Amino acid sequence: MDTSLLNEALASKSYDKIADISDNLMLQCAAEGIEFQDEWPYAIHLLGHIYNNDINSARFLWKKIPAAIKEARPEVVAVWRIGQKLWKRDYVGVHEAIREFSWSPEVQPIVASFAELYKKRMFEILLSAYSTISTKDSAHFLGMSENDATNYVLQQGWVLDSASQMLTVKKHAVITEQKLDPSKLQRLTEYVFHLEH
Amino acid sequence: MEPDEDLGQIADGIYANGDENTQRHRPIISSEQLDIEAYAALYSGRTKITRLLFIAGRCGNASMQLEALRMAYDEIKKGENTQLFREVVQKIDGSLGTTYGPDPAWADSVDRRAELRKEKLENELNAYRTNLIKESIRMGYNDFGDFYYAHGQLGEAFKNYVRTRDYCTTAKHIIHMCLNAILVSIEMGQFTHVTSYVSKAEQSQDALDVVTVAKLRCAAGLAHLEAKKYKLAARKFLEVGPELGNNYTEVIAPQDVATYGGLCALASFDRAELKSKVIDNINFRNFLELVPEIRELIHDFYTSHYASCLEYLGNLKANLLLDIHLHDHVETLYDQIRNKALIQYTHPFVSVDLNMMANAFKTSVPGLEKELEALITDNQIQARIDSHNKILYARHADQRNATFQRVLQTGKEFDRDVRSMLLRANLLKHEYILRTSRKH
Amino acid sequence: MNLNMNSMESLVAQIQGLSSNASDIAQLHNFLKQSEELLHSDFTRLLSSLAELDPSIHSLGFLYILEACMSFPVAKEQVNELIVSVARFINSCAAEQIRVAPDKFISVCKRFKDQVILLEAPIRGVAPMLTAVRKLQSSSEQLTTLHADFLLLCILAKCYKTGISVLEDDIYETDQPRDFFLYCYYGGMVCIGQKQFRKALELLHNVVTAPMSTLNAIAVEAYKKYILVSLIHLGQFSTSFPKYTSSVAQRNLKTYSQPYLELSNSYGTGKISELETLVQTNKEKFETENNLGLVMQVVSSMYKRNIQRLTQTYLTLSLQDIANTVQLRGPKEAEMHVLQMIEDGEIFATINQKDGMVRFLEDPEQYKTCGMIEHIDSSIKRLMVLSKKLTSMDELMSCDPMYLGKVGRERQRFEFDDFDSVPQKFTI
Repeated sequence: MDTSLLNEALASKSYDKIADISDNLMLQCAAEGIEFQDEWPYAIHLLGHIYNNDINSARFLWKKIPAAIKEARPEVVAVWRIGQKLWKRDYVGVHEAIREFSWSPEVQPIVASFAELYKKRMFEILLSAYSTISTKDSAHFLGMSENDATNYVLQQGWVLDSASQMLTVKKHAVITEQKLDPSKLQRLTEYVFHLEH
Repeated sequence: MEPDEDLGQIADGIYANGDENTQRHRPIISSEQLDIEAYAALYSGRTKITRLLFIAGRCGNASMQLEALRMAYDEIKKGENTQLFREVVQKIDGSLGTTYGPDPAWADSVDRRAELRKEKLENELNAYRTNLIKESIRMGYNDFGDFYYAHGQLGEAFKNYVRTRDYCTTAKHIIHMCLNAILVSIEMGQFTHVTSYVSKAEQSQDALDVVTVAKLRCAAGLAHLEAKKYKLAARKFLEVGPELGNNYTEVIAPQDVATYGGLCALASFDRAELKSKVIDNINFRNFLELVPEIRELIHDFYTSHYASCLEYLGNLKANLLLDIHLHDHVETLYDQIRNKALIQYTHPFVSVDLNMMANAFKTSVPGLEKELEALITDNQIQARIDSHNKILYARHADQRNATFQRVLQTGKEFDRDVRSMLLRANLLKHEYILRTSRKH
Repeated sequence: MNLNMNSMESLVAQIQGLSSNASDIAQLHNFLKQSEELLHSDFTRLLSSLAELDPSIHSLGFLYILEACMSFPVAKEQVNELIVSVARFINSCAAEQIRVAPDKFISVCKRFKDQVILLEAPIRGVAPMLTAVRKLQSSSEQLTTLHADFLLLCILAKCYKTGISVLEDDIYETDQPRDFFLYCYYGGMVCIGQKQFRKALELLHNVVTAPMSTLNAIAVEAYKKYILVSLIHLGQFSTSFPKYTSSVAQRNLKTYSQPYLELSNSYGTGKISELETLVQTNKEKFETENNLGLVMQVVSSMYKRNIQRLTQTYLTLSLQDIANTVQLRGPKEAEMHVLQMIEDGEIFATINQKDGMVRFLEDPEQYKTCGMIEHIDSSIKRLMVLSKKLTSMDELMSCDPMYLGKVGRERQRFEFDDFDSVPQKFTI
């Protein structure tokens, strides 16, 4: 089993590559008839899918794991608990599942990196979905204490009404590239010319 | 982003539109109970009896019920339908005293006379048939039709009237036959027959006299009404000439023409049609004069005084539900009229205050929201509801975006369809090659 | 025995000597075809001769011997070894050599697939079978008979994501109806697993509307899934078939799918409780037909559909009213549904917790960005390629003597109906 690519990705913290590397490696080992299950890094593999927000693949991988391994390796189960919360869209539960387990040194940095990523993802969701939101709920969604969460969003320009403990969301102006490359305009003109003649 | 300046303008508009009726003093009829006597006086013959019995069965008011039964009893005694007589006696069940009892002496003598009469008619008809005198045979069957009709055997009556057809020698005879067939069919509720005999009569070579034309329009209108084709029904009733007068009381009163025609028109016509075919229709105006409430509510609708219009409708409803032809259609017609009013109300505005609108339609804001929701979902109103501020905003589709959307969608579909078509063509080709190679 | 030994040795020598260029290969192929009898005589000798060959250089010869090996009943302890050598062979063989004898290659791959399934280790076949598909294909537009086998292994091994990779190719060339039916059906299932419902719908649609002269079980099962995926993805299902659908399918599919059609009728009313009752009544049937998971997704999609309908009607609406209309337990649950839908881009809205209101917005897409122009541009290019393909196919067909013969004979019966769903001519 040649895990050098995987180790490389882990060392360089390219966690978004874990899933593909692991998938391919697993298929190759299987084709070679290697009994890989017992030593397979299931926790890391699962996290790779979760990191890419590919919960379908995480779910199918979980279903592939032999029952004996699920029993013997609580960390694999703990990783899947994160996936399960994501699958059920239990936004708050994801943070809990991350906090609840004391992760092994190999897994810990990936979990920490995912936690940060997830916090940012949640912030973007709150940003697009809410115009006002309570300090309590934003703390839940961001997985922080109420104080930390409030400070965090205030830095992003949100406004707090301390009487009602309500935050008013400040949307960023969306800047999109609208300048048109003249060659594209040229091409569109050609299509139209073609259609008309 | 609240468009305050818009709101001010619109509020003015709504006041000018909906609240005016407080200044206009118009007596609105109360929902007084149906005056059965006056009602019954509009009709004659069998329909008078069946209408009274219908009211007795539906009104749910003991004194009104007995009044209707009493009048039906009196009316039946003028005729020869002992079967119906016995039914009514059973319904009265002694509650109107001895005068309205079973009266077996009368019933038996009528039945005896009927036996004799039937025998006589049979003999006569047989004689005519052996002699092959066409006109006499026609008369014979017609007499039989009349006889059965008078005794309430509608099926037999219909058969005999229709049998006269082979012996009709003039256009007049045919029309006579048609009118009889129509009359019995209406009584039986066989409205497909009504439609076919109306068109048969209208194909007559001779010019029809105006009264007959009016009768045929009424019959056609009733048939369309039964078939829930309200727009067609409205057109037929609106074409009924004033010559109808009291010439068709065995089927319909001129008041009914106004009511049926007016309501069907309101439910199915657009504004322009309502104006040209109803309000400006001098002919129909005469009918409307007979039922001022209908006239008023049509005017209210057209001038957008919906509250008043709906109030009239509300007041009329109980009595309309007692009408033998209209009762099944009242709810549908009312719903359609109300929806039309809601649509028309919102049409000219950029935004509408739901509180004022609810007021104008005598309903609650949540109730109005539900009604508007249904109409918007059905794409009958292009608007969206701001449920927070209780305002309805008109929605203007962005043509440019919609075009882009449609173009991309069409592209996707073309892509998908061409690919699956190529695949199907390949499979067909393969199958064909296989089949021909098997043959060889 | 002696003779066999010698012959086998000479056969191996021939293979080793005739594997370097195309004309050698052709000669070798003839030779191999004549050696069938020899190849099927001694399993042990065959197996050992494989060791003398290099699969990447002597691919054709290796293939013949491997195929012969697999036609023998294999002892249990040897199965594992055999599977590994097939996997290695597929991995290293030269595509141009095995394409000389596609039937042999397909036969080896199919036996290989059967063996891994028998061993209950379908995952062992996934990677080799994907390689096999790629090596057998002369272009990515061609459907091979191995496509369906590969997808089946993906489903059994729960490697859905790997399965998607072949489904992304545009397939145009297919000749075996059975391959096509299975490819579309299994492909549909793979897409359903990855929740790529649009693609799933397209594949299942192809099964349902494919030309067929007798009804087959694949079409029946595909139709059931087609109904469910339509409801999930489009929120509606039309019971009318496109007119190019075979009459067999039009006449029979509905009778086999009654509970599914009832489900779709009930979905149309928008009443969640009615739908749930119906699901309960038919639960066993859905379960035995392996569709219960999809059915449950249909139920939850109805909440979304009902909320989406509200966005057409309301500019703002309270969470409480949403909960009431959509039959959710309360404003908090309504908020979570709305939040999910915003996250997935299914509606455009903002939640105002202070007032307990939701404001529905219009689609912010203005079709002005560079990205959008790029997208439109590439769509146009793609469609131009497609329509050229269509025209050339049309031309090819109208010059095909067999087709012309058919049209000549059956002028009355043959119509262009099959081509009606797209414009007759699309000139760019």
